[in-house]
Formats: sequence, C-alpha cells, structure tokens
Amino acid sequence: MTQVRAEIRKLLGLPTAWAGLILGTLLSPIIVAINAPAVRRMIADGALLGDVADLGLQNLGIGLIGPIILGVVVVSSEYTSTGDDAPRARQLTATLTAMPHRMRLLAAKTAALVTVVFVQATIAAAATLGLTHALLGDLVPAWHPGRIAAAVLYWVLLALFSYSITLIARNGIVPLTLQIINSTVVSVSYLLTKLTDLANYLPDIVGPQMFLSGSQLEVHIHPVVAGLTMSAWVAALLAIGAYLFQRRDA
Amino acid sequence: MNAARAELRKLLTLPSLRRTVLLTWGATGLLAYGYASAAARGQAVTDDAALAPLLYTQAGFLVLGALAAASEYQGGGQIRATLLAMPRRLPLQAARMLTLAGVALPAAAVTAAISALVAGEPARIPAATAYLTLTTLLGSAVAVLARRAVPAVLSLFLLHFVAGPLLRSRFPGVAALLPDTAALDPSTGLPATIAWVAAAVAAATAAFHHRDA
Amino acid sequence: MPGPAHRLTTRMITIDRLNKIKGKARILYDVSFAARPGRVTGFLGPNGAGKTSTLRILLGLDRPQSGTALIDGQPYQSLRRPLATVGALLDGSGAHRARTARAHLRWVAASNGLPDSRADEVLEIVGLTGDAKKRAGRYSLGMSRRLGLATALLGDPRVLVLDEPVNGLDPAGIRWMREFLRKSAAEGRTVLLSSHLMGELAEIADDVVVIDKGRVLVQGELAEVTGDHRTLEDAFFALTATETGGSW
Repeated sequence: MTQVRAEIRKLLGLPTAWAGLILGTLLSPIIVAINAPAVRRMIADGALLGDVADLGLQNLGIGLIGPIILGVVVVSSEYTSTGDDAPRARQLTATLTAMPHRMRLLAAKTAALVTVVFVQATIAAAATLGLTHALLGDLVPAWHPGRIAAAVLYWVLLALFSYSITLIARNGIVPLTLQIINSTVVSVSYLLTKLTDLANYLPDIVGPQMFLSGSQLEVHIHPVVAGLTMSAWVAALLAIGAYLFQRRDA
Repeated sequence: MNAARAELRKLLTLPSLRRTVLLTWGATGLLAYGYASAAARGQAVTDDAALAPLLYTQAGFLVLGALAAASEYQGGGQIRATLLAMPRRLPLQAARMLTLAGVALPAAAVTAAISALVAGEPARIPAATAYLTLTTLLGSAVAVLARRAVPAVLSLFLLHFVAGPLLRSRFPGVAALLPDTAALDPSTGLPATIAWVAAAVAAATAAFHHRDA
Repeated sequence: MPGPAHRLTTRMITIDRLNKIKGKARILYDVSFAARPGRVTGFLGPNGAGKTSTLRILLGLDRPQSGTALIDGQPYQSLRRPLATVGALLDGSGAHRARTARAHLRWVAASNGLPDSRADEVLEIVGLTGDAKKRAGRYSLGMSRRLGLATALLGDPRVLVLDEPVNGLDPAGIRWMREFLRKSAAEGRTVLLSSHLMGELAEIADDVVVIDKGRVLVQGELAEVTGDHRTLEDAFFALTATETGGSW
C-alpha cells in the first residue's frame, strides 16, 4: 500500500504528468462549451451526425490525451538518465534499489496509474456531462449510468494500453507520437477500417464502442464484446511488458 | 566551416535520428498505400491523397528536430563539450540550423515523393519538402528552449494535432495563421509556417546565447 | 620585441575579481587568482565552495556578474581554436550515451579542424583503444572520466583545466592521473585542477588556491599555504575556522 502511495507521489511530482492531468480533465468540458451553440443549431435542424445520446460522451474523446500522457510518463520517467557522470544509471536504478522485487514494483505502478486515471476520468466525465446538460438542457436525453461507467473504464484501459507499450518501448517518444497522431481528428485506425473489417477490433476503434451507440462505422460491436476486446488488448500487452521488464537489464 | 562539419558528424552518428527517418518513410509509404487502396475501392477517406499522409508523418520531422536538439542535454552533458569546442554561440547556432536543414531536406524530399507519387501528383513535392524541412527546424527550436525532448514533442503535437485542427474547424479564418496549415495547402500556409519557424528559431537563439550552459 | 611581460601572460590563467549570482544567492565574491605555466595549481575547497562555478566561467560556459577570467590574456570565447589552447575536463564525459567514443572524439576533432587521427591517438593515451567502438552510455564511471580527458587532449593544449579529475577513478587511475598531470606541467603546460580531496592535492600541486563559501582565502606555493601545519588539510581547517569568526 505504501508502495502504491510512493508511486502516486512520484507520478504527481512530474511536470509532464501534470500536463496530462490538466489537459485530460479540462479539454473535454472546454470543447463542450465552445461547441454548444453550433450543436444546438444542429440538433434543431436535425442535422446532427450520430446519436444525440452520444453527445457528451463523444466529447470525452478529446480528453483521452490525458491518460495517454500519464500512461507514458509513469514509465518513461524511469528511463531518463539521472546524471552526467554515469550515463548508464537511470532513474530505474535508484527505484529498483529501493524496491528490488520487480513485479511488485510494476504492480504498484499499475495501481498508482489506475487510481490517478480513474479519478481524472470521473472528474472529466462529471464535468463534461454536467456541462452538456447545463448548456443543452432537454435537447439531450438523460444519462445512462452504465454508459458513463463504461466510458470511465475505457479511459483507464487506454491509460494501461499506453503504459504497456511504453514499457515495451522503454522510451516515451515513440508511444507518445504513435498515440497522439492516431487519436487526432481522423485516425489511422479509422483509415484501416476502410481497408479491412478486422481493423474494427483495434483498441481505439473498439474501445469507444463500449459506450457510444451511434457510430459512423460500418461494423457495430456490442458494448460488452467491445469491453472484452479492449481488455484483451491491454492484458496481452501488459503481460508482454511485464515479462520484458522482469527479464531485461534495468 | 568547422562547426558545420562537426554538427554534421553529430547528426549522422546519432542512431535515433536514423531510426526516426526510416520510421517516417515507412509510415508514409503505408499511409499512402492505405489512402490509395481506399480510394481504389471507392471509399475515399480524404480529398487530398497526395498530402494526406504527410499530415501524420510530419510528426516524424518534429521528432527529428526535437531529438537532434535535445541530444545536447540528455545524460552525458554534451552541451558542455559542444560549447567548449565551439564557444561562440551565434555562429554555432547558425551552423546547427543550417546543418539540420541540410540533413532534413533529402529526408523530407523522399517523404514528400513517396506521398505525392503514390497519389500521382509529383508537382506537390517541392512545397511539401519545404514544409517538412521547416517543421524540422521548428521541432529543433522548441527543444532548444525546453532542453528536453518529451515536453518539446508534446507541446508541438498539441499545437499541430489538437489545437490546430480544433481552431481551424471553429474559426476558419485562423487557418492562415497556424504553422501546420501548409501541410494542408502549401500556397496559403507556407508564409505562416515560415513566420512561426523564424520566431521560434529567434527565441531559441536568444535563449541559447544568454543562458548558462 | 617580446620580453618578460609577454612571457608572463602566455599560457597563464588570470582570474580577476569574479562575482557570480545564481538565482538569489551570491556564489562568488571577488574571486581572484592566477595559474602559471610549468606548474600544477590546485584549486582547493569543500563542495559548494565555488570551484566549479569559477571554472565554468573561465571556460565560457557561464557568465559572471563582474570580473574577468582570462587565458593567454583572452576570454575563452575569443580563442581562435579553443581546443588547441585549453583542454577541459568537467564532470561526465561530455559524450552522448548513444554515440560511440570514437564518433564523439571525431566530431569534436572536426569542430576545431583537428585531424581524425587525433581521436585514435588520445584514446591510446588514456587507454581506451579497446573500448573505442562502445557506446558512451555503456562506460563505467572511470571510463567516462578517461573519455572526458581524451576529449580534453585532442588539441594537445598548452593549458589544462580539470574539475575534480580523480573523482571516480580507481587507485591505479588516480596514480596515473597524478603522474600525467605532473608530466604535463613539467613539459611547460599550465595545469589548473580543482579538488576537495586535500591529501591528493598535496601530492600533485605546486601552487594552491583555497576557496570557501565563494571567497578565496589564501593562495601561494604549497609549502607556504601549509605553513607550520602538519598537512594541507590541517592548514585548510585552520583557515576556514578563522574565516567563520575567530579572534579577529
């Protein structure tokens, strides 16, 4: 338990982590506020793409940059070189000296990440959905608690996904690059769905299906199936990451 | 000029730069193929297949510039060795920028060629090459200011991939003022890109000149 | 016609009333001293005394609020080919961890117009020839210091400035460094090294400059500074005790 708290404190001591926290929490509500007038008009004209019920939840997507950054930073900070005198020593060396049992360290880090992202997701969801309701009133149907829970779960799973690939890559730039450019306005995964139906099971395509009902994709996947697929991705990558972490030199 | 020779050797012997260029070429090729296949199936995803892949792979050039500049500050303290060997900072900075542009240019040309030729529009190559090269310098300038690669890359990505598209969709008039518009439409965007890069390079040079090593 | 005055400033390091403020703290107070050619000058003081700060200003890495630090009568930044005049060893090797030692030395050589063969020559001098193709990130602490020294020697400089040079070396390395520095001074070079290891400094130095809390307390030949005390260390503690409010 103290190890988890230590890892949380470590995470909250990193400036880049705060960037992820602030962006993840604030971006979605801000977008809702900015887009509200235009959206109101679109609903009135009946020109809205997709399901009205999806509105607030869809905007949560832009805040995903938060868990992506947090997942990367939890690991990448261990692999920065600590001093000029001995470039071989990384932060990880000091960490493992304090906590030599690697799997326990990994478990503590994972728990810390899940805790922080869960709190962030809940706050972001509350803010986004609350604001959506406040600004759009009864144009939007009442929220389904199951869907909100699924959205929060997706945030946590995505953070774990980001975390596992950073564990495997051992540096922050590659996972950060791949994920950010993929999660912008049009994604590479989306492009792939045009080429093959299998691409619908990629994590960033299948994940939102956990809580969004209307979708512009051609293949619709049941939320529970989506959740299981996403979890399977994360489990597989975490296992690989953990195995490598155990075996490799620090 | 000696400084340029030294900086060139530095760039050519940093493995992460080579890897970045190769990954970028690979990704561009895959994306270009993807867009072409989608179009061939009648499911065109974009109306500008010649430049669409570059919207993503420009990230590779931001990373290239950032890694090149940040390498001076990563463990080992190379910036000290650099300043001891070449203590006059303004000529050093000029040499660094020129050498980086010189290395980025062929890489950018190949990238632009892959993207444009697959879509059958070779005329787009020069402007795209210019844009990608400038983007590399932008990445480098921000990394000199930040002295670390990850924050530099993160802020540039936020600008290019999050803030940029959002601002453009909400306030279309802003498009001509953002640095990454040139990726969409070089004729309107390049002046903005040049201005941003010039400003960033000036800021980086001033900071570099004045601060302690 | 060059006379004694000219010979005096050649290869001499002259530090004159350096003042440096970092953030809110004053870390150097009117620091002045000189290091002469043909002698090893030891810059002695505890950690945080201002040794590294002084050397960094001397080497053009940091700017002082006032005062001058000159080599050959010129500031470091004015030297035409700095590495041919001054070789500096600071902490770390200065090499990026992903680069091989040889690649590192080759770019440094290119920066000052030095031939590539110098890279292999200096590797030989410090005994790293076998590890030349290894990435600098794989070097141990001792190897990193030797690579740093190799870099400093690329231009066969007349002046050597070293910050805690024996830090991280094993006994054989420390002895090697001691003999190397004494030999360099005997060849007419100016050798300035900083250290907080007083016993070690007493073995190497001809002249000693003692600094504490940003102020130079005393400078002179080793025997003078040691005075009636048994060792340099005793002399140092006596000096600093007086400094912090003795019977004056």
